Amino acid sequence: MDNKDENVVRDAAMPTTPRVGVYICRCGGNISDVVDTEHVAEICRLIPGVAVSKVHTFMCSDPGQQTISDDIKQEKLDRVVVASCSPFLHELTFRGAVVRSKMNPYLYEQVNIREQCSWAHKHDPRGATAKAIQLISAAVGKVSRATPLAKIRLPNHRRALVVGGGPAGMKVAADLAACGISVVLVEQSDRLGGKLHTLNRLFPTGQAAIQLAAKMESQVLADPKIEILLNSKVTKVSGFIGNFEVGIHGNFGPSGKTTEIHTTVGVIVMATGFKPYVPREGEFNYKKHPTVLTTVDFNSLLATQNTEGRTLHYEGRSIGSIAFIHCVGSRQVDGVHTPGPDGRLNTYCSRVCCTTVLNQALQVRQRFPETRVYDLHQDIRTYGRGHEEYYTDASRAGVVFFRYHGDEPPTVTNANGPTSPLRINVKDYLSWGEELELEVDMVVLAVGMTAGPCETLVDQLKLPRGEDDFLQEIHPKLRPVEISVNGVLLAGTSQAPMNIQETLAAAGAAAVKARAMFTTEEVELNPYVAQVDTHLCEGSGVCLTQCEYDGALAMVETQENGHSVRKAQVNPGLCVGCGACVAVCPTQAINVSGWRIDQYDAMVDGLVRDVEPAMV
Amino acid sequence: MAGKFNPDLHLDITGFGGKDIDMCMNCGTCTTICPMSEDSGGGFPRRVIRLIQTGQQSKLEETLDPWLCYYCGDCTTNCPRQANPAETMMASRRYLTARYDFTGLAKLFYKSAVAEILAIILVGLFVTGLFVAFHGPMVLNKVELNTFAPVHAVELGDWIMAAVLSFFLLAGAARMTWWTLGRKKMFRISPLIFIQQIPVFFVHLFTQKRWKKCGSHHSGIRWMKHLLLVSGYLSMLTLVLILLRWFQTDKIYPFYYPQRLWGYYATIALLYPTVDFMISRWRRKEPIHLFSEASDWIFLVMLFLTALTGIMVNIFRVGGLPMATYLIYVIHLSIAVPMLVVEVPFSKWSHIMYRPLSIYLYGVKQAATRANRAADEPASEKVAA
Ligand SMILES: Cc1cc2nc3c(=O)[nH]c(=O)nc-3n(C[C@H](O)[C@H](O)[C@H](O)COP(=O)(O)OP(=O)(O)OC[C@H]3O[C@@H](n4cnc5c(N)ncnc54)[C@H](O)[C@@H]3O)c2cc1C
Ligand code: SF4
Ligand code: SF4
Repeated sequence: MDNKDENVVRDAAMPTTPRVGVYICRCGGNISDVVDTEHVAEICRLIPGVAVSKVHTFMCSDPGQQTISDDIKQEKLDRVVVASCSPFLHELTFRGAVVRSKMNPYLYEQVNIREQCSWAHKHDPRGATAKAIQLISAAVGKVSRATPLAKIRLPNHRRALVVGGGPAGMKVAADLAACGISVVLVEQSDRLGGKLHTLNRLFPTGQAAIQLAAKMESQVLADPKIEILLNSKVTKVSGFIGNFEVGIHGNFGPSGKTTEIHTTVGVIVMATGFKPYVPREGEFNYKKHPTVLTTVDFNSLLATQNTEGRTLHYEGRSIGSIAFIHCVGSRQVDGVHTPGPDGRLNTYCSRVCCTTVLNQALQVRQRFPETRVYDLHQDIRTYGRGHEEYYTDASRAGVVFFRYHGDEPPTVTNANGPTSPLRINVKDYLSWGEELELEVDMVVLAVGMTAGPCETLVDQLKLPRGEDDFLQEIHPKLRPVEISVNGVLLAGTSQAPMNIQETLAAAGAAAVKARAMFTTEEVELNPYVAQVDTHLCEGSGVCLTQCEYDGALAMVETQENGHSVRKAQVNPGLCVGCGACVAVCPTQAINVSGWRIDQYDAMVDGLVRDVEPAMV
Repeated sequence: MAGKFNPDLHLDITGFGGKDIDMCMNCGTCTTICPMSEDSGGGFPRRVIRLIQTGQQSKLEETLDPWLCYYCGDCTTNCPRQANPAETMMASRRYLTARYDFTGLAKLFYKSAVAEILAIILVGLFVTGLFVAFHGPMVLNKVELNTFAPVHAVELGDWIMAAVLSFFLLAGAARMTWWTLGRKKMFRISPLIFIQQIPVFFVHLFTQKRWKKCGSHHSGIRWMKHLLLVSGYLSMLTLVLILLRWFQTDKIYPFYYPQRLWGYYATIALLYPTVDFMISRWRRKEPIHLFSEASDWIFLVMLFLTALTGIMVNIFRVGGLPMATYLIYVIHLSIAVPMLVVEVPFSKWSHIMYRPLSIYLYGVKQAATRANRAADEPASEKVAA
């Protein structure tokens, strides 16, 4: 299978009559209890082109696979059809068996007669048997017209783009550079560190956030393999794994002028972070009363308040009591909370705000012993190692807890103007739903996380977002840092609310995944992409209007008989093989390899072929 | 109406010996463990702790719940946060006792041991002073206690004291009743119910039988010791208030005569438990005795001394030692009277009233609810029809 093969579109008519081997699996009874496999094998022998037709109890077993290999040699088979379970389960298994006998793996077809016949029609054995025969007949038709294909190989650029210079981005960059991979780290603000600059003493270590930021920053600054671009944004991105073309716009470089650079990278890591929820004006009196703050505001207040006094001071007032309200902008309830401007309700838990509140509450109690602290929560979700201690310590320090239900959030009012204390009414479910009223000098809203902004990349790379608007991984457990666009990885809170520990763990995982993608000189892609028959192409360009994938299809000028002509050209890296172009080409000059139109025709013929008159 | 939050309430209770109230995370373990919780309609003891945490002062004063607790300590043993709920119940009872007392003396004595001791000394000195000024002739060749301290005079003093004590105690009981039955709402309860429930009060006053229900920790034995103490105490009151003329005689009867036997019984019934409780408190043997406030010690020591001096009066009298008898008699009364005057209405002794009263009031409440429900039912049936 060399590279030349896959670029050749064979003539629809095959040069010789194919010799197809059909293998029918009993699946230990899963199939044969309903489908009369012996009968199927007998009938399939009658299909034109079929040289061998056999039944086996477990095709996937070693002896089963050996039967295929032996027949390929002895019976000189050049095509194989296995009728068994779903290709999801064993397509690779049987391809492997075929390859071991020196046959091209794309000259193999799998027919699913378990899920689609024996399981779906278990009360109709005759019908199931007939359907199995039809499906196999179609597959024989398709495979008879199959041509040998090879995986597409493209150069793999050993360079990574990391978008976002927060803790996640810095960690990915440092880890990749440590493996010898060059990194370009793009940060839109004027410094690295992300939200660390807005935090104060971090849970669960008590470390100062700026210290952590400085430590991580010095690590990436010191590494010559990391190119750091501040004040910059990715404006253009296209390509595919191993070959992403990126345009970056920003005022970096010695001149300080706004410039644009282009670079090619093999992998993109999304470390674009989160946006803290910003309460609406008037939500819990936010922006209406000077002492209603968010936990973000309160972090900077704690960071700047150096004088340790008996009470906390804010804008010249002595704060005798503070109430923290949890879940502001998180765990919202339909019909209770007002959706955001995009019509979205944040129904998820932001996961960091509970421990954040307790961390802040404790600091207040320790530093300003005469400021009382009240905590209004739905639940206390101090789930991490060392987090629960904040809860216990907060109790010990005299923080009073109240529990409200999500559909009956507390209210904050200030009947008597901005200088009066705030009044909180809460239906407290630790007191059996009792209505309680507190007067406090300050209210701190524990704001959650919302999905960060990264529109350009999301739009251009077509990255999927979840219902919560965060970037969505392929599988939460099996493939937690990969996204459905090959070559793009997720790190940190661009994906979901996480604390720093989790952010860095995710970033480390993304770095390892990225590193693994660079183990080969070339990237291998499936050969199922569009191909143009240049003889047939008349350059109408209709196909281009249908293609949804940027750069997958282009019209190029070539010389033909001394004339300059326009012909369609496919970029196999970007084509996803959807076939939209195939459907519109007036001359049928474009086809998807492995799924050509003549193969479809053969399948239809196979389906309607009257192989068993007795059963109809 | 939204409950007003008094942020200082938990500090106040801490002043009455409450410990680690802030540590309670309202998990409810104590409620599931507590065998008395059912009687509260569920929620006890956490509900009391919650009222304190959330500063619901008036609600706390309106509840009878703390009186349900006999301090087996099971809740404290099982509390995952070491919030010490049992001790909070104890502190709440002290707090409530102080609140029922309108004079403010109870609060003063609970919060300041010095004040309590000072008050005891003052009353003691007053009693001594009375004897110094008004005692009868001291016959020295034989013991004539009734000449030294004529029984009718002592009896008069007893009755005056009893009247004063009863006044304060009943005032406290009235306040307790008023608050816990919902103030004016209590007038809606039929007087018949109040009368029907009266036996409950006396049954519990004399038996404390509820105690046996409480917890896993040797409660049977503790209940018996406590019962012994109560019987000794009530014997003493009966002998002194009602039967003094019969009890305080100069004639020496044989020891098997009832007034002597009863006296000995009362002495043992007072001495044995007090000594036992003091040892237990000292060694912190039982959960209930882990934490001792000054008021707990004063109570035990005074009771012990009363019984001790009482029996000494008897020994000297029978032994024919006139001077010693007169002297120890004065000391005896200078201890017993202040103990009663200070302890009964204003300190720990008051629970002899409040405990059975709380059960009585629970009974009244429940009967009233039952009556209301019965009254509602036919009405709703009519609507349904
Ligand atoms: C109030 C509050 C308190 C918290 N306290 C703690 C704590 O005490 N301990 C703890 O462990 N966690 C805490 N957290 C969580 C912590 O902030 C996050 O876990 C952490 O910041 C996530 O890092 P990140 O790199 O994923 O995202 P971020 O910190 O948000 O960094 C993202 C970076 O990407 C940049 N960026 C975004 N989009 C682009 C773009 N398109 N192009 C270029 N650059 C871009 C941003 O400018 C930013 O620098 C707290 C969170 C909140 C809201
Ligand atoms: S972490 Fe706590 S405050 Fe934040 S959304 Fe979840 S439950 Fe609410
Ligand atoms: S006192 Fe202890 S057991 Fe009872 S609710 Fe509080 S924490 Fe739980």
